[in-house]
Amino acid sequence: MSVRKFLPALLVSVGLTLLMLPLQETIDLSNTALLYVLVVVLIGSRYGRGPAIATALLSALLYAHVFVPPLFSLAITEVQYLLAAVVMLVVALLVGHLTASLKSQAEQVQARETQARALYDLARHLSAAQTPVEVEEIASRFLGTALQAIHTRILPESAFAAPPPPLTAALLQSALAGRHPLLSAGGDPRHTLALVPLIAAGPPRVLACELPATQAGDTATRELLETASSVLTVALERTHFAEVARETELRRAAESLRSSILSALSHDLRTPLTVMVGLADTLALGKASPERQKSMLGALRNQALSINQLVTNLLDMARLRSGNLELNEAWQPIDEVIGATLQQVRTHWKDREITLDIPSGLPPLRFDAVLVERVLWNLLENAIKYSPADTPVELVVRRFGEWLDVMICDWGPGLPADGGEELFGLFRRGQAESSIPGVGLGLAIARSIAEAHGGQVLAENRMGGGACFRLRLPLGSAPTLSDLEDET
Amino acid sequence: MSETPTILLVEDDPQIRELVAATLEGEGYAIVEAGTAAQGAVEAGACKPDLLILDLGLPDRNGINFIRDYRIWSAVPILVLSARSQEISKVTALDAGADDYLTKPFGVSELLARVRALLRRPAAEREQLEPTIEFGDCRIDCVRRQVTRAGEPLHLTDIQYRLLILLASNPGRVLTHRQLLLQIWGGRAVENNQYLRVYVGHLRQKIERIPAQPQHILTEIGVGYRFQP
Repeated sequence: MSVRKFLPALLVSVGLTLLMLPLQETIDLSNTALLYVLVVVLIGSRYGRGPAIATALLSALLYAHVFVPPLFSLAITEVQYLLAAVVMLVVALLVGHLTASLKSQAEQVQARETQARALYDLARHLSAAQTPVEVEEIASRFLGTALQAIHTRILPESAFAAPPPPLTAALLQSALAGRHPLLSAGGDPRHTLALVPLIAAGPPRVLACELPATQAGDTATRELLETASSVLTVALERTHFAEVARETELRRAAESLRSSILSALSHDLRTPLTVMVGLADTLALGKASPERQKSMLGALRNQALSINQLVTNLLDMARLRSGNLELNEAWQPIDEVIGATLQQVRTHWKDREITLDIPSGLPPLRFDAVLVERVLWNLLENAIKYSPADTPVELVVRRFGEWLDVMICDWGPGLPADGGEELFGLFRRGQAESSIPGVGLGLAIARSIAEAHGGQVLAENRMGGGACFRLRLPLGSAPTLSDLEDET
Repeated sequence: MSETPTILLVEDDPQIRELVAATLEGEGYAIVEAGTAAQGAVEAGACKPDLLILDLGLPDRNGINFIRDYRIWSAVPILVLSARSQEISKVTALDAGADDYLTKPFGVSELLARVRALLRRPAAEREQLEPTIEFGDCRIDCVRRQVTRAGEPLHLTDIQYRLLILLASNPGRVLTHRQLLLQIWGGRAVENNQYLRVYVGHLRQKIERIPAQPQHILTEIGVGYRFQP
């Protein structure tokens, strides 16, 4: 306890004595005693028990010496003065003691409340924590403010082998084995290492921090550490289970995608492969007529191309689903990519009539040409495959406010009654078993690509029969071309 | 060029090598085969090919680097074979000095057309001394800087004219966006693909019968343009 706390005790007692000295004649002796008791109460409530007792003793001495007759002598001649002095001493001691206890209790309550508030804040912050790293950050902030702790870390068992100094593997292991905070002198004499085991579901961890050496041993510090560690344990447990749940969900989704891919592959890859093997075997026999051989060779080629289309779609889907698709966007006219797509479509389906209706003067759009070509190809391929060969496929471009729509319409059977939203799912086809080759990826791919561009792919039935698929892309505001302009 | 053109084929997959070699031999070309980049480099020096067909995915070396090294000492045309969804590597290969590319799987007729076009090119370059280029119903007079379509003079801006000449003097060859921008506008414009697209659009309006379905200036999506006379 500091000597400085006793100085006010001395000053106040002496001061009161000097103040009362001139008034000795007018104030009654018992009132003087009461004033001394008041001083003891004040000192006790301000500085605690020790100074209160010191004040009581000093006041009793001064009172007896200065005010009780005979004046300026410790000798007390009359019994009643002696009684008054003794009563004053006892009362002063008693009141000083009570006041001091009250003060220390109030302080404890205050400290508890601060701690409770800090713990509440800790719990509140932890409730938002998603990962062990975030938990560690919050713990570090909390222990830093509450206990002036530095270098707060939460180490999982896997990091025990090479912990950051001054921690050692042996220290961490023994902390994990015990149930209570383990204190150990650190490398630096002003700090003490404190290690608390955090045992929960998931990997066991140890909370390690360095506390100021002066308060590391306090009961309050230990209690706070223990409470904090139990709150941290719960938070870590929660992050662990959240992680497990996320992984399970991912695995489930991957599993279902994989099984869809496998079933699609087993059917849609095996059918053309069976045809190809058969055709190759028959051709090898060399018994077919030259015309028939020629048509068989054509069929062989078509089957191979349909497998290629399937593989292309699967790869596109995998690329889109992997989540790290980077759009190679540039401002460009839509007619260019339409023209290039049609050029390829015409090499595949030479005789199919495709009519174009593209107004002139359309503003350029910002898109990834390679991906938008995939969308157009998929929509055109669908229209060609799912409508009678002698009907035209119509491609119409229109501007609707802030959107540019590319509509691809056919004269086929149209969409199912429910509006065709189902068709956009992975591995969904209008009819599950169909002689038309395909796996039901085209529309899902088209929609994913359109959405990556901030657009969409919509399906609708047209008046008079047939289906229309609409690629809708945002127009945005194209930059003006000025600086590279030449004279026109 | 000798009587029988020699084609060096660098491809690691034996089946594709076999197929391409058989096809080209059937057309009367002499084929030298190599399965690795190292072997390819040796053969390139030894057999002095008239055309190099190169698979980009070689086991021992990146095909792009092979092209860069080869271009230092040889101007022999290079036809690149690449897998789909590798637009970037196609562009890189063309920028590195390749002349054309084919995407696997490719048809035999496509392969033969590209090979014929590339083998014709050295002769075409000599013919460029002839200062007129003709395609469709258009005629370019390089001396008088005049372009006519069906006898009618076309009014082209400076840049449109330069773009047309550049494309038309490289028939059948893919020119990447970067190559076109660099040659027409210079180094400051290589990132401005949109300018190029606008000018190609304008040019198509003037020389194509149906600009939306071009017959001469063909778009190679994500790569560049190819001129077809």
